[in-house]
Amino acid sequence: MPAKDRDFSGERERCVTGIDGIDHILNGGIPRGNTVLVSGSVGTGKTSICIEFLMRGALYGENSLYLSVTEPTEKLLKNVIPFDFFDDKLMRQGKLQFIDLPKVYEKLGIDKEVVDMESARRLVETIGGMVDEYHVRRLVLDSVTSVCYGLREQERIRDFLLRLGATLSAKGCTSLLVSEIGSSDHGYSRWGVEEALADGVIVTGNLERRGDLLRTLQVVKMRGTTHSRAKYVLDLTTSGVLLVPLLKGGSVTGGG
Amino acid sequence: MVEVSTSTEVADRLGNLPEASAVAIRLKAEQYFDAIQGMLDRFATKKGLEVVYVTSTIPSQSIINALEALEIPIDHVWFVDCISQIMMSQAKRHQHAIVVESPTMLENIMLKVEFLLRKHPDRNALVVLDSINSLAIHNNTKILSEFLHILVNNLRSRGAYTVIFSMQEYETDEIRNMLVLVSDETIELGE
Repeated sequence: MPAKDRDFSGERERCVTGIDGIDHILNGGIPRGNTVLVSGSVGTGKTSICIEFLMRGALYGENSLYLSVTEPTEKLLKNVIPFDFFDDKLMRQGKLQFIDLPKVYEKLGIDKEVVDMESARRLVETIGGMVDEYHVRRLVLDSVTSVCYGLREQERIRDFLLRLGATLSAKGCTSLLVSEIGSSDHGYSRWGVEEALADGVIVTGNLERRGDLLRTLQVVKMRGTTHSRAKYVLDLTTSGVLLVPLLKGGSVTGGG
Repeated sequence: MVEVSTSTEVADRLGNLPEASAVAIRLKAEQYFDAIQGMLDRFATKKGLEVVYVTSTIPSQSIINALEALEIPIDHVWFVDCISQIMMSQAKRHQHAIVVESPTMLENIMLKVEFLLRKHPDRNALVVLDSINSLAIHNNTKILSEFLHILVNNLRSRGAYTVIFSMQEYETDEIRNMLVLVSDETIELGE
């Protein structure tokens, strides 16, 4: 008998993101239950990727939840790409939900500036409770970096991420955690521990080539599947996030 | 002997090709608009194709103006304009044109083609690259070959036609080799 999250060929069940380019890179999608860090500097498409992931999920019948830390939902939705495939019925039916995490903090009596270990555990329990209550199969936390600012110490951050990953994975919920990094940062996260604890790391960036600025995406890690590690160029369109391979024939300078 | 017009020659020769063909059309400057007419007005219309026209030679608005003058409808023609932005030309764009900042952004050209094909999935497509010579001004041969190889094979797998314009006056051996590599057929006008 294969393990319960694997099919008879031994492959782990996939959460098809619905973003063709990413599903192609991952040979069929994110292994179900993985916690994936989506890491990149500002304006590289992290939020658009995450929102498309949730919208596609909701369209496939998977309840999807967006936890917003940095931006109130109202403002976020005003600025989001008007995707052709978005149907506001999904929100009315509760298949796609947006929750402002600061309101959750308030409810729990947590000071978001200084989150102690106990509060962090309660926060994970609360998120787990929401996943159960709304039967959530896809979750986005935007951003995990902001949550970690309150946690401050690496030990607490490690504990929070381990618990969050374990909780979501146990419920079969595939999650994307947005990680904000500077354009010149080395590594894929602000605190250095996030990428080690996540099951997968997708990096978005800007690549300067002869004065042109290209948005790029690269999957550097994904447990449970083989995948391309090449860099792709992405475009954020009303048809969704589109990807093509980065051409290598020219002289390339700079990083991203 | 009856002399065949350029537009008829283009339409006839393209019409004889199977779907998913990649064709290089070698033409002289004076044949340019006749070739476009034959390709769009006769070939694409007859086959019911959605046309994605990538222009790096002249701004899309100039081609649109010429098509309007020739009374060729552009309901099913969409432009990826790679030249207007670097020319700093008019800010207002035709609703059938989307812009790529520069002809050096080859990946973005592929992305815009992909976007337009997704927007219009109901009809088979013809993708026109106008022209290999102007793209070669802005890109080195290595990256341009890679671009053509990926784009043409992607279009071929979708069953789309690809037409690559090459102006004979500006051809180099490198361009000719590139065209041979990616095309199923080369049409030399007025042979």
